Parts: sequence; structure tokens; C-alpha cells
Amino acid sequence: MEEIRSSPEELLKQIKREEQQKNRGHLKIFFGYAAGVGKTYAMLKAAHTAQRKGIDVVVGYVEPHMRPQTSQLLNGLEILSSQEIKHGDIILKEFDLDTAIDRKPKLILVDELAHTNANGCRHLKRYQDINELLDNGIDVYTTVNVQHIESLNDLVASITGITVKERIPDSVFDNADQVKLVDIEPKELIERLNEGKIYQKMQAQKALGNFFTEKNLVALREIALRRCADRVNKMSSQAGGKANSRFTDEHILVCLSSSPTNAKIIRTASRMASAFKGNFTALFVETPDFPEMSEENKNRLRKNIHLAQQLGATIETVYGEDIAFQISEFARLSGVSKIVLGRSSARRGMLFARPSLTEKITQYSTNLDIYIIPEKNTPPYKLKRNKSQKTKFIATDLLKSLICLVASTIIGFVFSEFNFSEANIITIYILGVLVTAVITSQRIYSLVSSVISVLLFNFLFTEPRFTFNAYDAGYPATFLIMFIAAFLTSSLAVRIKRQARQSAATAYRTKILFDTNQLISNEIDSAGIISVTCNQLTKLLNKDIIFYQIQNKELASPLLFPVHTGQDISEYISQNERAVATWVLNNNKHAGATTDTLGDSKCLYLSVRVGHEVYGVIGIAIDDSPLGSFENSIMLSILGECALALKNDKTSKEREEAALLAKNEQLRANLLRSISHDLRTPLTSISGNAGILLSSEENIDKYKRKQLYADIYDDSLWLINLVENLLSVTRIEDGTMKLKLTTELLDEVITEALQHTDRKRSEHNIIIESSESFILVKIDARLIMQVIINLVDNAIKYTPKGSDIIIGTRSEGNRAIVTVADNGRGISEDAKKHIFDMFYTAGTKIVDSRRSLGLGLALCKSIITAHDGTISVTDNKPHGAVFTFTLPTEEVTLHE
Amino acid sequence: MNKPLILVVEDDSAVRNLITTTLETQNYRCQIAPTGEAAILEAASYNPDVILLDLGLPDIDGIEIIHKIRSWSKTPIIVISARSEDTDKIDALDAGADDYLTKPFSVEELLARLRVTFRRINDLTNDNIQNSIFINGDLKIDYAAGCVFIKDKELHLTPIEYKLLCLLAKNVGKVLTHTYITKEIWGSAWDNDVASLRVFMATLRKKIEKDPSVPQYIQTHIGVGYRMLKV
Repeated sequence: MEEIRSSPEELLKQIKREEQQKNRGHLKIFFGYAAGVGKTYAMLKAAHTAQRKGIDVVVGYVEPHMRPQTSQLLNGLEILSSQEIKHGDIILKEFDLDTAIDRKPKLILVDELAHTNANGCRHLKRYQDINELLDNGIDVYTTVNVQHIESLNDLVASITGITVKERIPDSVFDNADQVKLVDIEPKELIERLNEGKIYQKMQAQKALGNFFTEKNLVALREIALRRCADRVNKMSSQAGGKANSRFTDEHILVCLSSSPTNAKIIRTASRMASAFKGNFTALFVETPDFPEMSEENKNRLRKNIHLAQQLGATIETVYGEDIAFQISEFARLSGVSKIVLGRSSARRGMLFARPSLTEKITQYSTNLDIYIIPEKNTPPYKLKRNKSQKTKFIATDLLKSLICLVASTIIGFVFSEFNFSEANIITIYILGVLVTAVITSQRIYSLVSSVISVLLFNFLFTEPRFTFNAYDAGYPATFLIMFIAAFLTSSLAVRIKRQARQSAATAYRTKILFDTNQLISNEIDSAGIISVTCNQLTKLLNKDIIFYQIQNKELASPLLFPVHTGQDISEYISQNERAVATWVLNNNKHAGATTDTLGDSKCLYLSVRVGHEVYGVIGIAIDDSPLGSFENSIMLSILGECALALKNDKTSKEREEAALLAKNEQLRANLLRSISHDLRTPLTSISGNAGILLSSEENIDKYKRKQLYADIYDDSLWLINLVENLLSVTRIEDGTMKLKLTTELLDEVITEALQHTDRKRSEHNIIIESSESFILVKIDARLIMQVIINLVDNAIKYTPKGSDIIIGTRSEGNRAIVTVADNGRGISEDAKKHIFDMFYTAGTKIVDSRRSLGLGLALCKSIITAHDGTISVTDNKPHGAVFTFTLPTEEVTLHE
Repeated sequence: MNKPLILVVEDDSAVRNLITTTLETQNYRCQIAPTGEAAILEAASYNPDVILLDLGLPDIDGIEIIHKIRSWSKTPIIVISARSEDTDKIDALDAGADDYLTKPFSVEELLARLRVTFRRINDLTNDNIQNSIFINGDLKIDYAAGCVFIKDKELHLTPIEYKLLCLLAKNVGKVLTHTYITKEIWGSAWDNDVASLRVFMATLRKKIEKDPSVPQYIQTHIGVGYRMLKV
């Protein structure tokens, strides 16, 4: 026997899940089969027990119409104020989610899990409120009745005849940490009811008649008990081993449609899927007619899709004209074992005397179980087309059809002149109808053209001509065949055209997806990735896009991507809209228009995320035209792609930063080492010499004393110079330094800089060869002076006494070029490569006379680079070195 | 002749010692003020000939002290600043200081600045009598005739150059900031004016200096301004 062992990844996932559970609050549901069984009572009792244990309990919301016994239990519990929402003239009291989160108790009581919130609340449903509480780590006690559970809805309705509008997804119930069944005998419940403990007397009578019959209650109780047992089963099988569920070979497929009865079929399929413990997929076949579907139907379809999602189905969409073929192809490819269909879809084909959908599916795939769900009281339902589209006559189309008819008729006359047979004329008319079908946008034109063609043919070309009579007995047959031929040809043409349009649309969408992948991978920074993603989405969805980047866990200012550039879409970045985006960021769930959360905002907001890390929030301006399911899925994959790219970008940036930090650390370490070594030398000399002079001045002869003074002076000057350089270097390397650019006369700067060069300059010949004209440069004068000082000091230091140092200036285009040339020994090729590196010194081997930190030239390079200039070193002829650097010049208009 | 009295405002005792020692060897008298409060008090009670003022004092900001002293006295003030930021100097000069020194400075430089200042004081007292003609070494300006001479040879200056030269001459020995000069000449202080100023200053120098790269009359203070030296 082989034991099934979990892989390390699975274990990790499990641990992660458990950790998340730890931070999440616990949900306890008090579950009953009817009103009045004592759920709220039991909940409040439990709350008191918890409070006695020292747990921080508050009552978030309890229905106000309470039995006296129950309301007594509220005493001694902290009750949160409810928010009041104006709805027309009445004021509705609703649970106040924000107050609850701000209060942050350990445990909160919120009655009626299935409640639907009033307009203006954050969420549409109370279970979403509760979910947010749990996410915030707050434990929740709540109550619910069996008829509110989504998958049991129909069952309960069929027993009691009452359809409940407020429903909760099964997952909420199944994922609760604890479900406490509150149960009493139905007889006892009816007794209670009669005593008026549950509702007021009046209501009691009414309720008894409709709902609270013993028969109903027994049935409901049974359902409730069974549902609880199912839940326990499910949990134990989950605990027994996740791996088992993967070996199930049942895969249930339900087809989505816009039919109002579709919801029931979805629920049945869901119950079946959980009974078989199989996979559950909901499939929607998007036909070419889809865009013409009326808004009402589209809305219903969206609701059905949403329902299927809630019931745990995977939503898939395929495209094609032949629904049956698409379904069976999908079933074959995804290994579906059972298909659940409604009777309406089974019946649908009868009108056209075509094989029904069920028959076709059976034909296509022989080894599928097909379940057909009967539908009672099916309201008359037709796939209504969008009226506005249908009635839209396009003048150009009308004109085109007319031209085709006229052309056919003219050719017909020509043919009849030449005495061609009538068959030719008929063919010409059929051709005309075909052309009409191809060049017009709607079917109606080709249909009308067919009819008119037949009439025209009859009127103009059949004996007796110019009447609608026909002598020949065969003509009616000719007309009929002509009409059918014309109509069929045109239908085929229309269909081909549609298919072509549809595949073009699909190809376009697919292309966008691939393009996006490509474009995103080309981008190197987050701004680029975002702009590519948003531009692609604008193109794909034809909607305005708003993108919020995340900075320090908060939204940055939004980036706008309007469909038409230059368009003002600032209405989408109002305070309200931003609040929705913030909610999305904090809760990592989508919200806004077309969702159940904050649905009255203008945009739909989604988080761009990888796992739990949110990299941005994207807003899509919905404007009353919600996204199609294909658009939605492709958008999600683009966003996923974008999030991955952003994540990679972030990781690489972090890595770069770390590398930079390490480099700076290295630099600092080098600097410290150099300083500790090189600063000590002059300091030792200064303090030593001064010490000697202080203690034994009399014993030292005058000449010697003078030398000591000179040493102190030289060393202190050296230190001053060093400190200046060091300060400049640290300022530049920190990146904190801002250049203070002013317009200066280059010659002035050089003259001034020379005043600050080494005292030994008198031992060298310093010559300034300035250009004829004035060169004005835009520079930070202090820093450029430092460059000149360093270059000249270097020349003085590394050349023998009496050498020439020539400073030249000239301008080339918008650059000023400064050269500092000497005729010393020059610089070796090897040294040239490193001469601008920090801590490089030419005399690395000689430690004594030429001490230098090797900062000077590195500093020069930093400064010149900061000025957008270049610095280089070349050989002087016949010997020596030439340092050349460039500076930006400044044009000036003189103010006379 | 009375030894000139110099008020040394400096909080750091080492630097104060250095300055006072230097000054006393050069036959100046010294008065010391370690804080801004003391500086204002001493300046009022002793009426020194020159004030050496450190900008970074523990109690009052140096610029503030200049404003206060300037409210009653025209005593020349030489600012000493450890900050290498040019803006501090410019602020001090605009507030009414006459000259500045940046730490670290050499003793020679300090003494040179003092000499310049004293010469200026003397000129101010003497020149007032015959201020229609300005003479500085070989340079002679006849304000009444609007003529400028070098070694008695008349120079041809553009109107702007002439205005510049007169402005510098009237403030001889004092550092004038770019802003001050452009405001005086053009009435505005845009960047473009500063750039123009440099060009006019360069052409002016070419006309009055023997060797423009070693200026004799007009000194450049990079990032700060210009000063005419008393030769």
C-alpha cells in the first residue's frame, strides 16, 4: 500500500493558509430552520458566556423587532450605534461597518447574515461586511436560516412556495469556523408562535397560514439538519486528505444563458457537483448575436455568471455559432462527465424544426450523461434583441440595396433585349441579393431585397409583362425557388460575414494580449510597464483608465489614460473615487461599479497584485456599459502580466539598491581607511612640531625653528585642502548636492582659482592662454574652481621645478574647453585608465613625500560629470600630460 | 596718533586669540565680544573703528547683528564666516557689511583686508571735500566732465562701463554684490543681467587694467561680486 504523501509545496501552502487563518477572525453561525427557533437568543447567550470569560464583546447589529425575552439579554452588552441611511422618505438603520472596525473588539455580534444592505452602504450584502470584519481579525457571531442558503433556495421554494430573495453563497456557510444548529420541535415552534412570542398576533395568523404549517416546518428542519450533516462530511473529507479530491473523475458542466430559469439550473448543477464531489464548470457560449442582446438579458446573464462563481464554478467562455458543437467540444476537451441543461434550452430548437440542443449534443458526444432540469412556471421568454439596434435603419445601407436592385433590373433588361433565357435574369437577381447581403450590415435588407427581386422579376420580365400576373403555370414554382435561392444565399453570406467579423474581433483581442506581453517585457521601469498596460487596456476595452501606483502602502497620485488623448476625465479622480481605490488597496479585492462593493462609484477598481502583494490599483471607467466576460478575462490576464512585471521590476530595483548601498559602504570603508592612515601623518607633524616649539624653543636655533614653523604651516594647508576636497566629495557622492549654476566668465574663474593654488606655484611657470572672445559658462563656480585648483596643484606636485603649466581656453559649439598642460614626465598608459578612480594615487609605491588620498581627480570627474561635461587626459608633445575638460557655455544678450 | 580700535566678535577662543595676537603685533587695539549681545553692547559703548564679526555666534544670528549695528553706526564691518556658502556672505554684504573673510583664512589676508578698510575710511573723510574728481593710482575719474583717464590718457568707455566704474569708485574698497550692482545699473537683478555684468566688467577691465589676468583695480569675488581696490 502506498501512502499518499503531500509534496513540500503543498505543505508550505497549508502552513501559509493556516497562518492566514490565525490572523483572520473566526466566524460562528447560529443556524436555524425557521424564524423563531431562537437563533438570536442563543447568540446573545453565547455572547454573555464569552463576556464572562473576559472577552471584549460588542453587539454590532441586532434586528430591532425582537422578542422581549431576547431583548432582555441585550442588557450588559455594549451596543454599537447603527448608521442611518435615508432612502426616500424613510430612514433605514444599517450595521455600521466602519465604526465596528474602528472599535476593533475581539468579538462582534451581527444578526441576519443574509441581509441585503440599503443603497449607500459599502457592500451590497451583509456577509461581505462580515467578511471584512473577519479580515480585520475580529471574531463574528451571526445568525441565518436554512432558506437563505443559495443552493437550497429552490428546494425550500418548492416546499414552501415562497422564494427568498436574500441569499448567501454556500461557501460562506461551509467555510464558517463553527456552525451551531439551533433546533426545536416544529410543534413547539408553532406553540410559541401562537403565544405571540415570535411575531405580533396579526402577523402570526398570516404567517401560520402560509409558512408555519407543521408539514413545512418538518421538511425545513430536515433540510437544515441534512445541510449541517453535509457540512460536517465535507469538513471531515477535507481534513482526511486534500489529495483525494483530485482523483475524482466527475466533472459537471452547466451552460450559462441569459434565461431567467438558468439560475435554478446552475444551483441544481452546483448541488450535484458537491454531491459527486466533482469539478464544476459553467460554460458560456458567446454567439455572434451576443452584441445585439438586450441590456436586460445581458444583465441577467451577468447575474447568472456571478451566481455560478459564488457556487464555486469555474467560468469558461467559448465562441462560436453552433452552441451544441461548442458545448460538446468543450466537454470533450475538458473531460466533462455530466452536462446539466434546462428544459427550455432543450425545447428551443423546435420552432425551427431543427434538432434540439439536447439532441445535437447527444449526437456530437455519445458518452456524456445529460441531465435535463424541468422548469415550472417558465415565464414567456425570448432572446430579445436590442431594440435600438433593430430599428436602426442606415440610410447608406438602404441606398446600397436600392442600387443593387436597380443594377440587377438594368442588366435584366439588357439580357431580355438579347433574348437571353429567364434563368439568366433570375441568376442576376440572386446575384444582386447576394451582393446586398455582403455590403449591407443587416439581414433585413437582403430579406426585403429577395422579396422585391421576385416581385420585380414577376412585374417586368414574365408574360404578361408589367403586371403581377403570370400565364405560365410553372411561374409560382419559379418565384418560390427564386425567393428561396435568393434568401438562402444571402443568409449564408451574412453568416460568413459575421463569422469573419467575429474571428477578426477575437484575433484582435488575442493580438492585444500578445502585444502586451511583448511590450511589457520590453519596458525597463515601472512607469513604462504601467503606461503600456494601461494603453493596451484602453485600446482593448475602449474605456478610460486610471492607475494608482502604491507608495509606502498608500495610493500615489493617479495616472490618467483617457481613450481620446487630451480628454478631460478628472471626474474619475474625485475624492469618492479615490476612497474606493483605497478600499481596494486595503482589502485586496475589486470594488466599484458593477460589483457588490461601493457599487455607486463611476469606475470599477481592481488591484494589480501577485499573491498578497498589491502593486497598484487600476480603475476602469464603466459608464453604463459593463465589461463582457471575454474582455474581463483578457483584462485580468493583462493585469496579471502587469503585476508580475511590476514585481520583477521591484525586485530588481531592490537588488540594485542593495548593490549601491554595498558600493557606498565599500567607498566609505575605503575613505575611512585612507583618512585614518593619511590624516594622521600631517596631524602628527603639526602637533609634534608645535609641542617641540612650546617646550624647548630656547634650545633650538633660529634656522631650525623657522623650519619647524614652516612644516606646521605646510601641513595645515595640506589639511585644509584635503578637507575641502573631502567635503565636496561627500556632497557629490551623497547625491545631496545641487549644483548652484550661475553664469560666469571662464577667465575670471581661472584667475580666481589660481589665487588658491599651491604656494609652490611660484616655482613653476603658469601661463594662461585664453581665447580672444569672452567665454561665458553656466557652472557652479565654486566647484569648477576646485577642479582647476586640483588640476593645477597636481601639475605642480608631479612636475619638476621650473616646468611650464599652460592653461588654455577655447569654445567649440556650445562647449567651452579648458586644458591644463604641463611638460613634466607624463602619465603612463596604465595609470591613465585609473587616474580618475577614487583613492588612486600615481605614486602608490612611494609613501613619503607625495601623500595624497587620490581624491582630487575623482572629484574633478564627479564635478565635470555633474556639469554634463567630460574630462580626459592625453599626452603632451614632446612630454607631459594634458588634462582637458568641457563645460556648457551660455549665450547672453547684452543689456546696454 | 591714536591706535585704531578693533572690536573682535568671535565665540571660539582659539581663533579669538589668534586674531587679537595678530592685531596687537600690528599696533591695533582690540576689544573682545564672545556673544552677539556683548557685541552690540561693546559696539555701542566703545564706538570701535572696525568690527570683525563672526557670523556663527551662539546667541544671535550674525546678519541680525549687522542690521542692528547699521541702524545707528556706519562703522565698517568685516564678516568672518566658516560657512563656505556664498549666500551667507551675500546676505551679510547686502545687510551692510563691508567685506568678508572665509575660514580658514591666513593672517596676511586678515591684515590686508584691514588695511583696505582703513584706507577707505581715510578716503571717505578726505575725498568728501573734492569729490568731483576721483583718483586711484593711475586711474582718474572726472565726474563733472564724465571722463576717465589712465596715466592722463583719456579712455573711451561705453555708458554702461562708465556707470559701472563710477559705482565701483564711489564704493572703493567695499565688496559690491552682483545683485547690488545690477540693481544700481539696470534697475533689475535677473540672471541675464548678471551675465551681462560679467561681460561689461571684462571689457572695462581690458580698458583700465594693464594685465587683465592680474587685475590691479577691480577684484573678482567669484559667486559674490566685485570690488575696486585702493592702489
